[in-house]
Amino acid sequence: MSRAGLSLDRLGGVIAILIAAAIILGPFSIYRANRIASGDARGIMFALPSAFAIGLMVLSMAIALVSAFVRALAARLAAAAFGMIAVFVAMGRSADFLTPAGNSFARVSPAWGFWLLSFAFALLVADALTRLRFGPWERLAALAVAAITLALLLGSGAWNNVSILKEYATRADSFWREARQHIVLALGSLSASVLVGIPLGILCHRIPAIKSAVLQTLNVIQTIPSIALFGMLMAPLAYLAATFPLAATLGIHGIGAAPAFVALFLYSLLPVVANTVVGLDQVSPKVIDAARGMGLSSRQRLQQVEFPLAFPTILTGIRIVLVQNIGLATVAALIGGGGFGTFVFQGAGQTALDLVLLGAIPTVLLAFAGAVILDALVDLAKGARA
Amino acid sequence: MIAIEHLTKRYGADIVVDDVSLDVESGTIAVVVGTSGAGKSTLLRMVNRLIEPTAGRVLIDGQDTVTIPEDELRHRIGYVIQGNGLFPHRTVAENIATVPRLLGWEKKRIASRVDDLLNLFQLDPATFASKYPHQLSGGEQQRVGVARALAAEPKLLLMDEPFGALDPLIRTKAQADLLAIQRRFKTTILLVTHDMEEAFHLGDRIAVMDQARLLQYAAPTEILMRPAHEFVERLVGTAERPFRLLSLTSVSRALEPGNASGPPIDISANLRDALSELVWSGREALPVSDISGATIGKVSVAGILALRREQP
Ligand SMILES: Nc1ncnc2c1ncn2[C@@H]1O[C@H](COP(=O)(O)OP(=O)(O)O)[C@@H](O)[C@H]1O
Ligand SMILES: [Mg+2]
Repeated sequence: MSRAGLSLDRLGGVIAILIAAAIILGPFSIYRANRIASGDARGIMFALPSAFAIGLMVLSMAIALVSAFVRALAARLAAAAFGMIAVFVAMGRSADFLTPAGNSFARVSPAWGFWLLSFAFALLVADALTRLRFGPWERLAALAVAAITLALLLGSGAWNNVSILKEYATRADSFWREARQHIVLALGSLSASVLVGIPLGILCHRIPAIKSAVLQTLNVIQTIPSIALFGMLMAPLAYLAATFPLAATLGIHGIGAAPAFVALFLYSLLPVVANTVVGLDQVSPKVIDAARGMGLSSRQRLQQVEFPLAFPTILTGIRIVLVQNIGLATVAALIGGGGFGTFVFQGAGQTALDLVLLGAIPTVLLAFAGAVILDALVDLAKGARA
Repeated sequence: MIAIEHLTKRYGADIVVDDVSLDVESGTIAVVVGTSGAGKSTLLRMVNRLIEPTAGRVLIDGQDTVTIPEDELRHRIGYVIQGNGLFPHRTVAENIATVPRLLGWEKKRIASRVDDLLNLFQLDPATFASKYPHQLSGGEQQRVGVARALAAEPKLLLMDEPFGALDPLIRTKAQADLLAIQRRFKTTILLVTHDMEEAFHLGDRIAVMDQARLLQYAAPTEILMRPAHEFVERLVGTAERPFRLLSLTSVSRALEPGNASGPPIDISANLRDALSELVWSGREALPVSDISGATIGKVSVAGILALRREQP
């Protein structure tokens, strides 16, 4: 029976089904006697104190109803955001609840019910934000609010008993060191590729003869799998380090950060160069003719007209590279380059899923934040000219 | 004065402009007309050296343009193209300020010049200065394009089909505005069009081009009465010829003593307007009034025909 004013929202309906499946079918937490023991999955009713469990289920069903039937976007956004916080707090509570007092070996990890529920709420948040058509500043503000909320929740100690944070607790120092290394690898190689790629793109645009050669070479590099590229770079860099002591003092070795950095740099070049070329090619010939006709020199034309008009397209290339590099930097750990990949591969080696997640989750969050920030910058660069 | 002397442009074996010579008196409008591909744009673009001539030269007030550095030459010559080529990332005011800024004018002087030009083109500075080109109508964009070309007070203005993208009503208005501004600043204008009507309306002299060659360069009446070439005759259009001729002749030429009934026509109108009015109102004659509105005579169908009989 549907009353007037209540109509089913398609995507909202699917999200509601996901929420229902997560709380009814899904195990919420997994209990392990130690970090590599096999797990024992617990549904919500057995993962939380019963009052808490019932509260979470009722709240989730209420949000599912909002998702399916309520039109007001602000209400949908508020419900979803509240749900995110609630499910996050509940996970921390479940870890406190399931961990026997004084037992420091036991591990409580999120199970797929938790992930599905989080995913459904995140989808609802994303959907509401999209439909609200937020401008770039509002999206950046939303990202900041989300980051601050996450930091406060983690800082409050609510998750201290959750397995991933237990892995963190035993290696807090190396976590931040690898985080810094990850960012240095991703952003450093990005900066290098911007510094080299934009001038190279401008050159390709101005000298059509070299354009296809450059783009094809970069295209071929892109198709080399990352491990293979790391391998290919190890030999020449090792040779460099062995031949020139200065190179070694500068930290250039066959293994470690240097080949990873160079590989990420090479991967980054194609999107930057290609988008620079496309952006410059897109500038209307009339605009260029007018600029020439008014007596702008070749350099003034580039600085005042062509580059500003191509800039949003170039930023789109930089966005691609940023997200790609944050992901690819994970692989650097394989050749001793550090970064979050260190935890992923250690965890995989020890079959410790929590450790894998300690590397993987920050990587995903970082890539997501990078994408949101650069999307906003692209919009800002397009600015008033729309 | 600009003197175009034996200008020629070849691309490989193709001759695009073939030995064209013509002079444009200071403060007058010369219109280059011809079908698409005739070489009009190429001729125009050789004047500000956007295209280097294969042979021949251009003198501006006696000075050979090759002796002036390219960019400097272009700062001194206004340039307007079809679809205006405004910078989409710059506001109207910034667009207009382009050349003055390149010339290093003071901020104050630029700002007051931009305001003056906006007012001149009936664009309220308070509303329009900070708009972006995409926020303007086609007619407004076109006016900003012309304002931008005039910003640094050039003595010479080159216009390549400047009104081509406008719909007819706005085009007529834009042509009238251009004439008014040209008379005020005494700018020398070289304008390219494929529209014969526009050529007759704007040109003090008309240059007819076909297949890279200049066929005739003369005053509009001359082009009408004595086409130098069969192509010119066809371009002028045999059927429209009488009306074009009438539109070039002032009512004062056919003024007769006497009076007539009905609303009067202004002495400054042309005979085409007078004939239209005669036919439309079904009258034999119209009273003619001067600026003060006083009737000073009449113009009649018979008088217009008699005038034509007197002409060679
Ligand atoms: N860069 C060029 N290379 C070869 N041919 C050209 C070039 N530019 C123009 N043309 C040719 O020159 C002829 C005249 O062009 P244009 O001056 O633009 O004519 P219009 O302005 O009268 O339409 C056209 O046939 C055109 O194809
Ligand atoms: Mg042309």
